[in-house]
Amino acid sequence: MTKIQVAINAAVAAGKLLENHYGMVKEVKSKESLRDVVSNVDKIAEETAISIIKDNFKDSTIISEEGDQSLQNSKEIWVVDALDGTVNYIHQFPYYCVSISYWVNDKPKLGVVYNPNSSELFYAEKHLGAFLNQKRLKIRDCAINEGLTAMAFSGKAYNPDERYKEFDIFGKVNDLSRGCLRTGSAALNLCYLADGRFSLVIGKANKMWDIGAGLIIAEEAAANVNFRIVDKENFLIDYLAAVPASKRLIESKLDLSFIKYN
Amino acid sequence: MKKKILIYGAGAIGRGYIPWIFPSEDYKLSFVENNKELREKFQGRNEFITYMVKGSRYEQIVCKFEDCFAPGEEDVDSYDAIITAVGPRQVLLLAPILSKARCPVILFENDSGLSLELRNLTKKKDIFFGIPDVITSNTAPNEILLIDPLSVVTEEGVTYIEEGASSLGGHVSYVSASEMKKQWMAKLYIHNTPHCIAAYLGSLKGFDFLHEGMQIKSIYTIVQGAMREMSQTIVKLYNLDNDFVDWYSDKELYRFSNILLHDPISRVAREPFRKLGLRDRLIGASQLSLSAGVIPKNIILGILTAFSYDQSKDEDAHIKILLNSLNPNDFLEIIIGLKSHEALFRLISSSWQISMKKLGEISK
Repeated sequence: MTKIQVAINAAVAAGKLLENHYGMVKEVKSKESLRDVVSNVDKIAEETAISIIKDNFKDSTIISEEGDQSLQNSKEIWVVDALDGTVNYIHQFPYYCVSISYWVNDKPKLGVVYNPNSSELFYAEKHLGAFLNQKRLKIRDCAINEGLTAMAFSGKAYNPDERYKEFDIFGKVNDLSRGCLRTGSAALNLCYLADGRFSLVIGKANKMWDIGAGLIIAEEAAANVNFRIVDKENFLIDYLAAVPASKRLIESKLDLSFIKYN
Repeated sequence: MKKKILIYGAGAIGRGYIPWIFPSEDYKLSFVENNKELREKFQGRNEFITYMVKGSRYEQIVCKFEDCFAPGEEDVDSYDAIITAVGPRQVLLLAPILSKARCPVILFENDSGLSLELRNLTKKKDIFFGIPDVITSNTAPNEILLIDPLSVVTEEGVTYIEEGASSLGGHVSYVSASEMKKQWMAKLYIHNTPHCIAAYLGSLKGFDFLHEGMQIKSIYTIVQGAMREMSQTIVKLYNLDNDFVDWYSDKELYRFSNILLHDPISRVAREPFRKLGLRDRLIGASQLSLSAGVIPKNIILGILTAFSYDQSKDEDAHIKILLNSLNPNDFLEIIIGLKSHEALFRLISSSWQISMKKLGEISK
């Protein structure tokens, strides 16, 4: 199997496992905040995805939310989040997914996001395009006041003194658009941008495993995607991804220098 | 005075067949073509040659045309009729421009539901469905292309259009809603379903043209079997006359095998996901068969061949990635959209290994 095939296979296998355990989470532990939690299901799903990758590419460097987080100076890495949206999942709010990406020299080259609840499989590979199940994805331009937007920020650990700035931007984007959502899954936010459901998605200090796949999926669907790794040691990324008209307008109306996506 | 017709799509039907039913002696024809390379072939010219297979020989006409526009250059207000032959995925994108037209619009788009959809989108009532019951290649043998690179080859078909458009005239039959339905059922299921199955089976052998595959006995047998399954289905469900269905089936098998037609497999097999849609000619046709109590054994072989379609330049080339990534049940459920409790899901799933083996043997 090729890398994209392995990523799809692993994402669906992990997703099936999440689906089968939905509503049956037994153990939940908090990590960095009340909303940063891990369940027993996260770990089983992650092991499933990683074992499929390793079976096919045994010498790969793999970093994951619950597992290994040492880069070992690798230029090519697999990045696995077997459950993005854990809080949603444990509260049976059906907005969660598996997210797997493959990075070369700090840029995502392919990505797969699988939402088992809706059987939506998003996938993309550099220069090949982005897809949702059968459908090739291409964004449709939309002014921000006609679009729905989303923002993902978790600043609790990253410069908590500036947390108010995140809410300030969130409020302003909310007022400029048909609404700004905090959905609990940054990966799905980016996929929904690729599929035309969101017109703009902003992220502050998101983890690489949450958004690696979504970034390439949005980019291959022809969205304007800008991101920067702001803290490599902690895998933190700022980004703004949008359809062109929404990007132009938000940048002309708001001071977004706090989000270091350029 | 000659009526002016604007034709969207200068491909197989657009330049290969329409000039036979609306000849340039009687109509002023103009085209709108999205493909820049094809459009450039029209530049600096005002006519091209197009061919029709009649019996065992070709007949030709010289088609004079007024313009070949890039999309957006045309003025839809200056025509007496518009005909589209751009493909079901593209035609809905024309809604904004068609809404500005004051003339009738005829859709040659292989999907009877599109006329209603476009009427709703454009708020325009005079949009009519047409069935060009014909196979038209989008290319021609080399000796013909050397004379004129715009030439294509069509067969001698018949055309049915909803009777509301009858003022346009031409060599077509304007028919009632009930006759249109009968012809559409035959076209949709006795033609479309086996036609694409023949193409997918031919592609397994690496052939370029439909007639090459139809000369292989195992392929001919599956295509004939699929046609029989669909014939039985529509006779049971729509009370179509047996003699009509038998005549139509024989005619189709002859057309698919016609060595003069040079019907490219890449044209007929293109966009397999569209043909695998839940209501379309493969999955939809199989569901219809099952609802009539007919087991679509040969159509299922066609479905599995469509899953295996391997053409890197096709719009749906990602089907190969998905087929190789997922186990059969996940592929059927997540990608095709069948539910695991459905009879068709179970039939395909349970016969997957044996059928794939059989197809592997055909491909050798």
